[in-house]
Amino acid sequence: MTDSPPEIVRVDDLVKDFRPGLGLRSKRVLHGVSFAVREGEIFGFVGPNGAGKTTTLKVLMGLIRPTSGRASILGCDVGEAGFRQHIGFLPENPYFYPFLTGREILRFYARLCGVESSLLAERVNDLLALVRLEHASDARLSTYSKGMLQRVGIAQALIHDPEVAFLDEPMSGLDPIGRKDIRDIILRLKAAGKTVFMNTHILSDVEMICDRVAIIVNGRIRYEGPIREFLREDELRSDIVLARLPSETSTELGERFSATLQTVGETIEVQVREGQVQGFLEAALGAGAEILSVTPNRVSLEHIFLEAVEEGERADARADRGGEGTS
Amino acid sequence: MTRSLQRIWPIATNTVREAIRHRLLYTLLFFAVTMIGVAVLIASLSYVEGERIIQDIGLASIRLFSVGIAIFVGIGLIHGEVDRRTIYTILAKPVTRAEFLLGKFVGLLLTVWLQLLLMGLAFVGVSLLVGAPLDLGYAAALFLVGIELMVIVAVATLFSSFSTPMLSAFFTLGIYALGHLSRNLYFLGQEADVENVRRAATFLYRVLPDLETFNVSIQAVHGLPIPATEVGWAVLYGLAYTTALLSLAIYIFHRRDLE
Repeated sequence: MTDSPPEIVRVDDLVKDFRPGLGLRSKRVLHGVSFAVREGEIFGFVGPNGAGKTTTLKVLMGLIRPTSGRASILGCDVGEAGFRQHIGFLPENPYFYPFLTGREILRFYARLCGVESSLLAERVNDLLALVRLEHASDARLSTYSKGMLQRVGIAQALIHDPEVAFLDEPMSGLDPIGRKDIRDIILRLKAAGKTVFMNTHILSDVEMICDRVAIIVNGRIRYEGPIREFLREDELRSDIVLARLPSETSTELGERFSATLQTVGETIEVQVREGQVQGFLEAALGAGAEILSVTPNRVSLEHIFLEAVEEGERADARADRGGEGTS
Repeated sequence: MTRSLQRIWPIATNTVREAIRHRLLYTLLFFAVTMIGVAVLIASLSYVEGERIIQDIGLASIRLFSVGIAIFVGIGLIHGEVDRRTIYTILAKPVTRAEFLLGKFVGLLLTVWLQLLLMGLAFVGVSLLVGAPLDLGYAAALFLVGIELMVIVAVATLFSSFSTPMLSAFFTLGIYALGHLSRNLYFLGQEADVENVRRAATFLYRVLPDLETFNVSIQAVHGLPIPATEVGWAVLYGLAYTTALLSLAIYIFHRRDLE
């Protein structure tokens, strides 16, 4: 048995209700959310807009209180402030004091984190270099573009060399080069043994850099686990185009290999799981079919994600109907 | 404690830096200095006690405009940070909500005290120009305006910790007005025949600030003595009231969801 790395973030049965206004009914945004983030991993918290990603992150940052449930970071309750010396946070679409320069704002955050005066200038310069903002370091933030502000956001989150970085949509507002830069920074953090929690809806980034993911839909976790396992379920399929396959054989092969077959004119288009391709081809050739093409077709994370979202919404609708029936 | 101060101070200095970039602040300051100057003109229309009129109007202008500045900057103090979400990155650092709120309070207080100093210098300049007498009474009057401002800034901070700037302005102005009337309300209430009215007047007097405690302008202008004990009591009262207000603000702000 191998020991799994210690849990850095632990969320148990988190519920959050919001009251839109006085006299209005409260709305449940998080329905018993639970997950864990382990040391040294890049954890992707994925979900569509309004799923509860940012609300969960706000609870973790102590900005809002959960209605019930518990959340802890580095073993400390999120309501405490002490552990924040060891975490960094990039909010979604960060906004900073526009009257300060890039260098001044980093100095400000460094002082809040208690970075020693003797190290402060060096640390600020290092971070400005890391996010490639040296050229604009003495310009007011009011003159910065959205992408530059996002880079400042990353720099302030890392100014005190935290153990855990919480990044809310870190690639938001960045051009392809900027996105690659941020990906590289995140991978560098992982290489240095840091833990990264990343809220995102950009699935290609998740696929590229995350070790584990949790998918949240309508305030409920629909999946939590390693990204590879998540993709593996139906990760690889192949599209096969056949001709001259007898119709009775095609039905039999479809059932035997769990393949989907569609007749298009004289040809049949088949989609079959990767592990079944060899067997299917042998059986089809044995039945006298002519193979016109075989194309490996990787089902994207996006496809699986959308399926998970739709399934989640169907489950919620069923739950709502059940609730109506019993009330 | 030292660690806390190390976090409060950058927030305070940043608040000063932000406040002194407000254009409206300079407009108010300009009007205040102009009013002190205009007092010379008004005094020239009078046959008697021209210097006293100048100093009376000057001190009144200082009180009025410095309170205006305190309310104007104070009402959006916390709300602005939440609204613009600048607070998210600050509270994610090892900064408690109490430290953040105290940092904002100290920053605003330093800003209004700086404005008060500038207005005070203008007052002294005009007084010297017209040959009006200047003694320690004026220093005491200006010093107590500073203590009154501390209370007003704490009131603005309290309301800003949970309400919108518009409501904060309304509440703070209300407290300011009632604070100057609370002593009269108390005495008026004691004259009433109904016991409950007397109790209500006493209760209001205990809860509302007695801002007239900080008003020694008349004594200063008329050269009447201002006992050190009166100034000392006013300072203690101001500190106690400010502490109570800030404690309440911290309690409310600590429980608030920052959506």
